[in-house]
Amino acid sequence: MATQTVEEMAAGLFHDVAIPTIHIGMATCGLAAGARSIEELVVKELEKRGIDARIVPTGCIGMCHNEPLVDITMPGKYRVSYRNVKALIIPQIFDAHFVKGEFAKKYAVCQIPIAGHTAYEGLPLMAETGFFKGQVKIVSSRCGLIDPSSIDDYIATNGYKALRKMLTEMTPEIVIDEMTKSGLRGRGGGGFYTGLKWKLTRQSPGEEKYVVCNADEGDPGAFMDRSILEGDPHSVLEGMLAAAYAIGNAKKGYIYCRAEYPLAIKRLRKAIDDARERNFLGDNILGTDFSFDITIKEGAGAYVCGEETALLASLMGERGMPWPKPPFPAQKGVWGKPTVINNVETLGNVGHIILSGGDWYASYGSEKTKGTKTFALTGSIKNSGLIEVPAGTPLRSIVFDIGGGMLEKKIPFKAAQLGGPSGGCIPVTGLDTPVDFENVIAAGAIMGSGGIVIMDEASCIVDTAKFFLKFTQDESCGECTPCRVGSKIMLEILTRITEGKGQEGDLDELIRLSMYVKSNSLCGLGAAAPNPVLSTIRYFREEFEAHIRDKHCPGTVCANLIKYVVIEEDCTTCGLCEPVCPTGSVTWDKGEVAHINLETCIRCKACVDACKFRAII
Amino acid sequence: MAHSDSAAIVQITDEEIDHICEEFGNREGAVVQILQTIQEKYGYVPAEILERVGDDLGIPHSKMFGVLTFYSQFYREPRGKFILKVCVGTACHVRGAGLLVDKIKENLNVEEGENTEDMLFTLEPVSCLGSCALAPMAMVNGNTYGKLSGDKMVEILRQIKDESSAEPVSEATPAS
Repeated sequence: MATQTVEEMAAGLFHDVAIPTIHIGMATCGLAAGARSIEELVVKELEKRGIDARIVPTGCIGMCHNEPLVDITMPGKYRVSYRNVKALIIPQIFDAHFVKGEFAKKYAVCQIPIAGHTAYEGLPLMAETGFFKGQVKIVSSRCGLIDPSSIDDYIATNGYKALRKMLTEMTPEIVIDEMTKSGLRGRGGGGFYTGLKWKLTRQSPGEEKYVVCNADEGDPGAFMDRSILEGDPHSVLEGMLAAAYAIGNAKKGYIYCRAEYPLAIKRLRKAIDDARERNFLGDNILGTDFSFDITIKEGAGAYVCGEETALLASLMGERGMPWPKPPFPAQKGVWGKPTVINNVETLGNVGHIILSGGDWYASYGSEKTKGTKTFALTGSIKNSGLIEVPAGTPLRSIVFDIGGGMLEKKIPFKAAQLGGPSGGCIPVTGLDTPVDFENVIAAGAIMGSGGIVIMDEASCIVDTAKFFLKFTQDESCGECTPCRVGSKIMLEILTRITEGKGQEGDLDELIRLSMYVKSNSLCGLGAAAPNPVLSTIRYFREEFEAHIRDKHCPGTVCANLIKYVVIEEDCTTCGLCEPVCPTGSVTWDKGEVAHINLETCIRCKACVDACKFRAII
Repeated sequence: MAHSDSAAIVQITDEEIDHICEEFGNREGAVVQILQTIQEKYGYVPAEILERVGDDLGIPHSKMFGVLTFYSQFYREPRGKFILKVCVGTACHVRGAGLLVDKIKENLNVEEGENTEDMLFTLEPVSCLGSCALAPMAMVNGNTYGKLSGDKMVEILRQIKDESSAEPVSEATPAS
């Protein structure tokens, strides 16, 4: 049985709807871009024109660079998606749909097909646009399409069908078999086989077991789990239900969600309440003897709690410090009982796998990493947002096809940072790396939870390494010495280098310390902390040496190592740079090339930003 | 103004604290949530309240202190009415979050982690708010602002100040 196509899924949402529907992207990214005021304007405009339409908030469809997004679906027609919607263009869009019976070509980005409805001419389908072409949406398939606070929308798009199928047709062993067949591996970055984890927990003796969802997404530059929680919260609940059924004797589950995600927590609360009301959660679910309920635990701000044993400690009201494994959570987890702990994205995939089969899921992806993976694509890239691609998709295609290439055409690609503070940088020469667990590790980074930050030539590699190490150093819980002290000394060396006080031998010392911290730390946080340093030294040794020997920062980021100069050939003598300088260090006369006085220059970069011709570097 | 001085805190009675602990069944495992509930109500967790919670749950004061100071979200001092969470995560860092923080420091005459003198603002750089496509971004009492520049941020601060002086009792509503 194949999973639903986008068309079929969308059709479920418009069953019996005879009036126009206006979808507005209201995930955190949409709200930050001003979706709330757009909604008010849409309501006003509808009232003014006397139009009866329903307004439906949705999660994130992934095109964060195009927010705020507004979709209009006229009865019987495909759903038209508008990007960067501002107050002024709303009347134009409304004129097109409600007066002329067409769409506003100038602002439309694509149309989303709905089975049984008809298409507009001259507007690409969603799957044909550059951003969506290489994507395969499984776990994020509902995000942006449905109203995440409506359980009916979830049910209309095959929601809770997997639960029903599981309870009526499948034994727990068969559920585990399907998960094993699917080859699904932990999407939080650990990469442990989900089927095996469930099997081990099932085999652990115990009358009382627990299911924990790790929603403590802490990597800076990563928001995959937030998008799923905000866009399709029920899919995570359904995944937890499957885990509970599979391991047996589990009556209670916890979702440990970081407090920085207030909207995700709100959506989860609503989803849990609604699921209880329909008896998808609670006692005797759907009339069977299977009972399970879920509680949300809010994190309190500690990155290390993303590590599973630290998370469990925090869940039990302790300081969130990791414990040495074994015992593994599958043996001794919450309150000392066998516990399955899975990440949000992993659980979000489960319903799809149960419904369409492990073999179907395994038909996507690469040899050792099956299925799809979501990534948060950010940094100096044109199309930043949330994407989902088959594992093994080359990095080049993610950056230049889906991502649309560099944000500023003139500044070329320098590196992609994968895996956040535990990951590393992949340079131009690694662009053909297939992005899956094994190949990314071979390239010196990790796939991690899915953060990809693109850096251009105007960024500094040493500064980036320092940034990540400062993060892990701040977040080190202090329990073991290699991580607590080692990362501090490494940070001191890196800081020295970026301040122009680097010494010969610093790089060797960094590598030596890195190896020590890596092999002697207690948990994953410390063991991975040196990765950003090691991978950048491996690929960008020259840039480190430029900082140390020449006291020069090629990316013009490290303030102490910048000497701004005006390139005479490129200067158009326009004078834009002169008035923006706060210290009066830029001198310019009409028709003359500008000059910068380095003695008084404070390296604020104002002149560089003001220059439209990139004549100041 | 809410949580502006410790005088307001004196009004919290031991009974109120006991009541909150009871709501969570006086369970040791609920200590983080109990502290979260207290902080949500009073803005921070004063030392004497921390001890009272410890007594109620049968947890030593040293351990209570350990838990409180482990998590970056808990505060032992009063904080401003508006919490400026400025994202300094990777994507925001790459797009100039550092300059944004500098601009706020200059505009409000405040250091990272500190309150303004009038207790209106607290500046709190955070690791990642998860809206990297809109970098650099900030969150003020749950409301998100994206694609910020120094000038845009100053304008937002000015608006908040104006609105706050117009209706002194209103709290900004979190994004929903």
